Amino acid sequence: MTPRRGSDNGTSSAKHPNAKVPAMIPAAVTVEDVRATYGTKAALDGVSLTIPRGSSFALLGPNGAGKTTLVNILCTLRRPDGGRAVVAGADVLRQPTKARRSIGVVFQDSSLDDRLSAWENLEFHGLVYGLAPKIRRERSATVLALVELEDWRDEIVRSFSGGMRRRLEIARALLHEPEILFLDEPTVGLDAQTRQRIWQYLDQLRRERELTVLTTTHYIEEVESADMVCIIDHGKIIAQAPPEDLKARYGTRWLHILPRDAAATKAILARYPAAQKLGSHSLALPAGDDAVTDAFLAEFRDSLSEIRFQEPTLESVFLSLTGRELRDRADGQRDAEKAAGKRGGRR
Amino acid sequence: MSSPIILMRGVYGVWLREIMRATRDRGQMIGGVSRPLIWLLILGVGLNPYFRGEVYGEVRYVIPYTYLQFLFPAVIVLNIMYTSIQFAVSVIWDREFGFLREVLVSPMPRALILLGKVLGGSTVAMIHGGLVLILARFADVTLSLEQMAMALGLMFVLAFGLTCFGVVLAARVRSFEGFGVFSNTIILPLYFTSSSVFPLDPALTRTQTATAYPEWLVFLVQINPITYAVDALRGVVIGFNQFPPSYGPAVICTMALVFFIMALIDFGRS
Repeated sequence: MTPRRGSDNGTSSAKHPNAKVPAMIPAAVTVEDVRATYGTKAALDGVSLTIPRGSSFALLGPNGAGKTTLVNILCTLRRPDGGRAVVAGADVLRQPTKARRSIGVVFQDSSLDDRLSAWENLEFHGLVYGLAPKIRRERSATVLALVELEDWRDEIVRSFSGGMRRRLEIARALLHEPEILFLDEPTVGLDAQTRQRIWQYLDQLRRERELTVLTTTHYIEEVESADMVCIIDHGKIIAQAPPEDLKARYGTRWLHILPRDAAATKAILARYPAAQKLGSHSLALPAGDDAVTDAFLAEFRDSLSEIRFQEPTLESVFLSLTGRELRDRADGQRDAEKAAGKRGGRR
Repeated sequence: MSSPIILMRGVYGVWLREIMRATRDRGQMIGGVSRPLIWLLILGVGLNPYFRGEVYGEVRYVIPYTYLQFLFPAVIVLNIMYTSIQFAVSVIWDREFGFLREVLVSPMPRALILLGKVLGGSTVAMIHGGLVLILARFADVTLSLEQMAMALGLMFVLAFGLTCFGVVLAARVRSFEGFGVFSNTIILPLYFTSSSVFPLDPALTRTQTATAYPEWLVFLVQINPITYAVDALRGVVIGFNQFPPSYGPAVICTMALVFFIMALIDFGRS
């Protein structure tokens, strides 16, 4: 817990006496070599990460990668089988109660009582966290307003849509003013509009309250605005960097082309087997360096009606790191489109 | 850092949720009202004329109570048993639908979460038992305030023990599906072998038991803890005990303690 003052930070604080010194603030979450096993299968295989206070950290990985296991360990629901996890300065094994006091959790599946009203769910949460009646009332009203559910305060949660439930859960997780918010797949199963709305709230919150936010997701477009993205697969961290760095380091640039006719499409596909079909007419091929583009243009310049570069996305980063698509086979086509750079959803 | 007030609020919150859920559960309410009506109005009234003194050889037994009076305390126990053991459904619900995690990630100690939950469940069960008391006049039972308070006290401790039993069951049952059948296979046999619908012997004394019932049945009745709960309540409500009066309260308190500890162990694992 003793703040360590790095030498370079020392000088910077001397230059800007009012500036915040990152190294002096203990990290919100520190995970050191955490292991977890289910039977003989390793769910987490030596995971280490640090989340600075007030930052937004995204844990990205396919289903079964170990994201939920890590969140469960951090919110003290599961004991790690090895390693150490410290949340808000409290070791999750030795001081679980202290850790619990400073976290808010939104689980993958709803954990609301759907026979109670929105207000009663908040009231319950406030009581369990020992908040005084006046504070409970004030904060419940505030968080309900934040997620725009004031008009629904006395409705029974059973009548809520998936998006409303999720918003109410976020409101509830904020009621006791946690330092750290864990969101396990907060937008799974929601439509694009609702997902965008939820991210708006979260961004707003982070700005207003200096909240540390850890999100797990397998929707790549949702982590673009995170401060740090951590890609996890088979219980191991395979990359950890700000999204722009990841894209620069691992991303592939794509060339989007619209061939003039079917014959041109066929010719291009024959010449470049790596090309992927996007919709019915366009194609995307890995652009590589300029030489590749030059060669392509030299050969096909007369059979194109449109051509443009698509900068790397996190989807393509994920593909090149893990060698597979992020989501289930069922929407493989959509993934292919996205991986090839046809962006949708949030930016 | 955790002052008693903060912890009390948590227990109160968990308790309040159980009460609110119970008031919104129509089915449970209907069961709680209809059950005593069926047992007292149909079975009680129907069998009332047959419950009288018998002549066995030279001995004539005199029964100082009507069947309705005799049955009345047992129906209270039956209502409590149903509601308490059905409480397991609430525990399974919390676990299956994820609500349990909401409380498990809170700073509230596990034991207090369980305590709040069980207190909530036993309050509801005690109220369901209390519903039967409304029919007291009908069963020709008159209760003084003191008797009423004692009865409610016993009912609460009994409800507490049985609710903990429900939690213990819940830890062993994986799904809702089997639970309805499962609970009936537990509740009804326990009820019927608790000397609830028939006295251990027609003379209402234990001396002549063997003349009227086979030994195995008497044995079952005697090892069934519910027997002593019914007996305790009968002692308070109609002033009749088949066993030494101290047995009943002792058994009820022991059940509450043992099942609470078992529930605590099970709940700590989740």
